[in-house]
Amino acid sequence: MDKNQHSYIPTLIKELSDGSINRRDFLRKSTLLGLSAAAAYSLAGVAQPFNSAKADDMPKGGNLRIGMRCMEIKDPHLADFAEKSNVIRQVCEYLTFTDRNNITHPYLLEKWDVSDDLKTWTLHVRKGVKWRKGGKTLTADDVVWNLKRVSDPKVGSSVLGLFTGYLVQEYDGGEKDEKGNPKKSSKLWSDNAIEKVDDYTVRLNCYAPQIAVPEHLYHYPMFILDPADNGSFGPDANGTGPFEMTEYTIGKGAKYKARTDYWGTGPYLSTFEFVDLGDNPGAGIAAMASKQVDGLSEADAVQISSMKNFPHVAVFKVETTQTVVARMHPDVEQFKDRRVRQAMRFAIDREKVIQTSLLGAGTPAEDHHVAPSHPEYATLPKYPRDIEKAKKLLADAGYPNGFEFDMVTRPDPIWELNTAQVLAEQFKDIGVKINIKSLPSAQYWEVWTSAPFSLTAWGHRPLAIMTLSLAYRSNAAWNESHYANPEFDQLLTRAEGILDPKERSKVIEKIELIMQDDGPIVQPFWRVFSTVMDKKVKGFELHPSQYIFAHQYAISA
Amino acid sequence: MSKFLLKRLIMMLLTMLCASFLVFAVCEFTPGSVARKSLGPFATQQQVDILTEKLKANDPLLVRYGRWLGVLVGAIPDPLQDPSTGLNFKDPRGAQYFGNFGYSTLNKLPVNDVIWNRLGNTAILAGLAFLLIVPLSIIFGILSGLKEGGVLDRTLSVICITFTSIPEFASGVFLVTLFVILWPILPGTSPLNSDGGWAVPYQFVLPVAVLVIYDFGYVARMIRVSMIGVMERPYIRTAVLKGMSTRRMVLGHALRNAMIAPFTVLLLQINFLISGVVVTELVFAYPGFGRLILDASLFGDIATLEAATLITVAVAVVTQLLGDLGYMLLDPRIRVR
Repeated sequence: MDKNQHSYIPTLIKELSDGSINRRDFLRKSTLLGLSAAAAYSLAGVAQPFNSAKADDMPKGGNLRIGMRCMEIKDPHLADFAEKSNVIRQVCEYLTFTDRNNITHPYLLEKWDVSDDLKTWTLHVRKGVKWRKGGKTLTADDVVWNLKRVSDPKVGSSVLGLFTGYLVQEYDGGEKDEKGNPKKSSKLWSDNAIEKVDDYTVRLNCYAPQIAVPEHLYHYPMFILDPADNGSFGPDANGTGPFEMTEYTIGKGAKYKARTDYWGTGPYLSTFEFVDLGDNPGAGIAAMASKQVDGLSEADAVQISSMKNFPHVAVFKVETTQTVVARMHPDVEQFKDRRVRQAMRFAIDREKVIQTSLLGAGTPAEDHHVAPSHPEYATLPKYPRDIEKAKKLLADAGYPNGFEFDMVTRPDPIWELNTAQVLAEQFKDIGVKINIKSLPSAQYWEVWTSAPFSLTAWGHRPLAIMTLSLAYRSNAAWNESHYANPEFDQLLTRAEGILDPKERSKVIEKIELIMQDDGPIVQPFWRVFSTVMDKKVKGFELHPSQYIFAHQYAISA
Repeated sequence: MSKFLLKRLIMMLLTMLCASFLVFAVCEFTPGSVARKSLGPFATQQQVDILTEKLKANDPLLVRYGRWLGVLVGAIPDPLQDPSTGLNFKDPRGAQYFGNFGYSTLNKLPVNDVIWNRLGNTAILAGLAFLLIVPLSIIFGILSGLKEGGVLDRTLSVICITFTSIPEFASGVFLVTLFVILWPILPGTSPLNSDGGWAVPYQFVLPVAVLVIYDFGYVARMIRVSMIGVMERPYIRTAVLKGMSTRRMVLGHALRNAMIAPFTVLLLQINFLISGVVVTELVFAYPGFGRLILDASLFGDIATLEAATLITVAVAVVTQLLGDLGYMLLDPRIRVR
């Protein structure tokens, strides 16, 4: 065994062999702690995805077209939706890679080591990765420049929010906003936080332990860019990725040409393109029908049901931790009493919501934002819809006749609005009248943290502690529900420091119970994510984050 | 004549000025700051504040409108291109020139780089549709107006009314089901490139058909009414009594008079076709002007909206002018005073 290996890995191997953790937990834990994916997969006795052996069997050449919205791309570190990152992903790459089983592998890194206290992360940059332009190879300097750039609040990258808490610290800049609250600024906690050790080694010196560093390095804007491009992106942009972008037209599409000197396996295609089909779901169906595209980046349940009979179309589905939460501000009059929040949870019929708004493409959630596919999930006894109980809770809280309230939501994607409508119908049964206020997406994101009652979609995250600390920790930047519970915070901090998923799950169970008893959200379901591809597309696997990796796909003639 | 044109030109500029100010003011009332929209929901408040400052978005409305106007006429350089903002906005035409519509916050490109290509695409779509709408509606209108209440009139009226009452999204879906899925002879979307294996001309068939189906019946009804009115006039009765052939009577006497009122309606269709094709463009994923306006307005991209407004107002005023000039040709009694 490697002497640099993390001291906890032998324990994990032992736990795997005596059956106290399952293979998925072992893979996730051991790879996060720096064990190579190949070693981890062979210890766990499962085949490794993206096996380079399949390269020989893949058909070579050809053009693949995938239908997807193509909106503004200027600065890859500012990418905020999966579609935008998909356009960049073919050109620029990440340090790590989380596969569809939620297991994180090294990517532009060869491997990483982490200290026993989880505070010092040593990243070993892969050698021999060539930039497309300029004849350079990727070095530690490039990596340091990128990590420092996303940590600069002036750049505006959402990675900053993830780094806050262990690499970046908020401080009081002395200024006040209009309401008299101190304006927070943020910066790296120390000049040494991101440190170049040698040409191929970077060290992260954190002030708090953090287990999810490799997964944060795979957050969608965390691309490794050429410092010479200074954050700009276009057909000329440099990258280490498998493709060169030859054309990009907003609202129309993107075109790529394969690189011949790519460091990894693939690409098998000679050209690849994204075609913008607009917002109308019918256009995707029509384009698939007339074979103008070979696949879509996403197809909803309605689209799937009209396309599944096309003989040339294959349907792909993957369970995700994507969800929506109807969250209530505990600081407004109506939702102050936790019994009201409980009543809202007892009021809904989850199966019916899934059938109506997702056409069945979902699994019931339990109002605590920890998914069964999260490694720390703890199984709780089921609780069904209970109108009588909900009414009693409302009456005890002082609302025997219910109340009326506005719920803010957005019309796009349509399943979100449908969910809001179904929920509003079901709340009626306990006397709560909800008026839906639907705002265009861009405007919705302006008020998402300030509206007292709203329905927000949350993306897929591989670890429950990531979502919980982003969304429900007191005063967290994305704490849209204004939830503040010292007991919850304390348990969460404890959970973040526990390596063993079984031990962590015991703490998470307490958190789940707090969320069901006192929490701010009604969470009806977990989404099943789906799409379609032409049957001639080879090597396609649906990733729960909606990521497209064109260099793994091939097309048979 | 030149005085008339000059007056119209000044009116046009005033209209455009008012419209552009209205758009600016209306954007003020939609919730959401440009900085938040540009950075997305996941940026921290501090990041939003820094960008708001860079964009000078907290200045009073009139100051910002004045700045936009100054940039448009080339009086001041576009402040967004100032390297000190760190926004990396570059316009190949330079920062200061006449007709600088500024920077699109949605597309992160100069508006001039985004809008003209889209307008061109829509102009082609609208032009093809217009070329079909004019003769079809004139023929349908005249034929049914010749003999009010006759079998031909009844039949054509039913066709016109039915077609016009089908909304574009419905006829779009219907045509796609028919010609793309059940009987695949046409492409279902029109991205205007031939990469999908369908030549570009084929991609125009369905969107043009949807526009023509929706629009021609309405114009034909207008022409029909006008034609009926003309056919009841004494000079037509005289011509009939003289034994003039129907063909000569219609082409030589009735048509010119019958076309005066519908002429305006026909020209109004140009306005509709330029700014009202958004549904058709959505159905067929056509990269046109309508979809650009829709995206810009949902996002609150003021610079793009302003440019689009100026263009649509200009199209409206120019078609109106053409209408007036056309009246003079059609009706010699109208004289410019």
